[in-house]
Amino acid sequence: MSDRVAQMEKRAEIKNRIQDGLVKYGFIAVTIGLFSWFALTEETFRQPSTLFSMLKFTSVVAIVGLGVTFTMVVGGLDLSVGSVAGLAVTVSAMMMVIYNLTGFFSGVMVLVAGAVVGAVNAFLIVWLKIPDLLATLGMMFIVMGLKLLPVDGQSVSSKMILRDGSVAPGKFTEGFRAIDRAMVGPIPLPVVIWLVLTILAWFLLTRTRYGRVMYAVGANPEAAKLSGIRVEWYRFSAYVISGLFAATGGLILASRIGQGDISAGNSLLLDAVAVALVGTSVLGIGKPNAWGTALGALLIGIVITGLTIKGFPYYAQDVSKGLVLVLALIFSFTLSRKKARFVPAT
Amino acid sequence: MTVWGKRSLLPASNIKERETKLANKKLKLALSGAAIFALLLTGCTQEASEDAGATSSAASGGNTDTGETTEVTATAPAPFDGTVKIAVVENSGAGDYFQQFRNGATQQLEAMGVEFEIYDAQADNAKQATDMETAIGSGVDGIIVRHGNSDTMCPLINDALDKGIPVVIYDVEISDCAPRAIETSQSDFDLAETVLTQMAADMGTGINVGYVNVFGIAPLDRRHVIWEEFKTANDWNEKFFVGKFTNSVATDNAQLVDAALKANSDVTAIFAPYDEFTKGVVSAIEQNGMEGKVAAYGIDISNADIEVMTAENSPWKATAATDPNAIGAAVVRTMLLHLAGELDENEYQFPGVLVTQDFLKDNGVANMDDLRSVLPALGLSEVMAADWIPVVTF
Repeated sequence: MSDRVAQMEKRAEIKNRIQDGLVKYGFIAVTIGLFSWFALTEETFRQPSTLFSMLKFTSVVAIVGLGVTFTMVVGGLDLSVGSVAGLAVTVSAMMMVIYNLTGFFSGVMVLVAGAVVGAVNAFLIVWLKIPDLLATLGMMFIVMGLKLLPVDGQSVSSKMILRDGSVAPGKFTEGFRAIDRAMVGPIPLPVVIWLVLTILAWFLLTRTRYGRVMYAVGANPEAAKLSGIRVEWYRFSAYVISGLFAATGGLILASRIGQGDISAGNSLLLDAVAVALVGTSVLGIGKPNAWGTALGALLIGIVITGLTIKGFPYYAQDVSKGLVLVLALIFSFTLSRKKARFVPAT
Repeated sequence: MTVWGKRSLLPASNIKERETKLANKKLKLALSGAAIFALLLTGCTQEASEDAGATSSAASGGNTDTGETTEVTATAPAPFDGTVKIAVVENSGAGDYFQQFRNGATQQLEAMGVEFEIYDAQADNAKQATDMETAIGSGVDGIIVRHGNSDTMCPLINDALDKGIPVVIYDVEISDCAPRAIETSQSDFDLAETVLTQMAADMGTGINVGYVNVFGIAPLDRRHVIWEEFKTANDWNEKFFVGKFTNSVATDNAQLVDAALKANSDVTAIFAPYDEFTKGVVSAIEQNGMEGKVAAYGIDISNADIEVMTAENSPWKATAATDPNAIGAAVVRTMLLHLAGELDENEYQFPGVLVTQDFLKDNGVANMDDLRSVLPALGLSEVMAADWIPVVTF
């Protein structure tokens, strides 16, 4: 009798260990598996230049996703990130092309614009008590429209005709274009920026009091408040950080496009939220985290690049992106014995 | 959740059992999820590995036009005696034009038997930049760039040329910033001139005219230049100039033209050098019941345009057009000739053809297929042809 119980316990133990292993390493295994499959079957894929251009392509989504991660940590979600990145593109184009300002100043203005939108988001959420999703959805539309106002809804390009009939005096400066094109050793600069920001976010979120309080605020704002934490301030800061990260992503985007492309950033929102969500399942952490977001972005980058090289049409890529997301969610919701938590407080 | 909550009420062995069962269930669920994922992936793989072209034809849907291929009478020169690989880096927007262009390009690439990869950025300029980088790194023998921002693409085109990869461009303004690339375009000057000559012949000089266009879009800017010339030469009095480029061009411009027509009822002809504009003009004329009084002239043609032009009392008198399928094939042939070292110039334009309402009605043309059969010039079979290229015409 006791033998049978012991046997059952042993079997249960093994199953639990398999399950835990799957939760912990399943995601990384899928990433490595897909990477190997593409690398083995496609010569183009395994060339370093392809891998670096893949990382470059992924860096924008990943950086914007890092911002979203912060808002998810405090139990919210920022839907305005895509339009903030788009705003960054328009602002930098206006600064340089229409007002003929320097690339550095334009970059600073872009970051200021991102922080301002983040602050307005936070104001709506924290003080006007509008639920996160709704407030940032509203801001998404406002920013999307607002950025088109000064440019009459047209893309800003060098030598364009301005309202008064004169020709735009400036263009994207070489220095600004270098944000996307410069290399640090063999590594493209955007990838370095991505790496640095990921380390920064990881450090902030896990190695400082600030980060631990952020998680506490997200887990239970009431409890956090009762223990004397200024919950408002932490939520406020999360949205400002999100705006800043989105603007940084937009800065790289603007440098890559070299034009005030009005449609830029439109596709970023869903991708950024997806990578942050996928990131929760990495290593079975079950909550938003910086390295998870980076890995989530990497996996989606691998899938998109691999499928493009294999000649899949864009809609097959959307299907695969969705499957990756669902698979990751299975890891963190269905399989994980720790309960995952990142449902926005609406 | 409730199960975990009741934990303390159950004996220990029971919990283990329940946990095991639950874990089992979850494991199964996850594994079946993973299996479906794997199945889907492998299902796709087979399709792709059979033939790289399969995906592109799937991408353009079922209603694609199939071209006719001419016989080759000579052996292809180097480098076509070995494997040649070409990348097509596209930037599609909304509309049939892009699908048709790709259809023509794909069929020409397949007919020639070269390997190819098609990247489509779907109107995402940043993605097109990355696609171009991937294409450069992938070791192809030539890159075709279709549409895109010159500011975005120029540095990358120069990168490719520096690495010794020939580049053929379609409809990107690069003559200033990347003069070493081969530039192709449909001749917008030619298109505008063709249809405006017809308008001048129909309507005469010294009339009141309306004009619909916007600034800042390269092909439309080129058409505008010709409009200015004809306006001056024929002493046309431009009563209004409206236009808006949006996601619903035809509807939005119908409103503008409607208002402009109400204010300027003495106009007898309107030039709208883009078919979506022209459709807006036609519906504005009809809203005002001015079908007999005002004539519309446009550029471009599609199945839908033919329907509008051949409708009873249609004010749309003439248009000038090219066939995007044929252009796609001709751009590919430009690359083939370039690789073989048989091109002398850096800039090529594909001519447009005049299509009048009378011509459509007289020949009973109801769609693009009919039009191609009565107007073979649309097929560009003589353009960029060589005896060693199996020319695909539509």
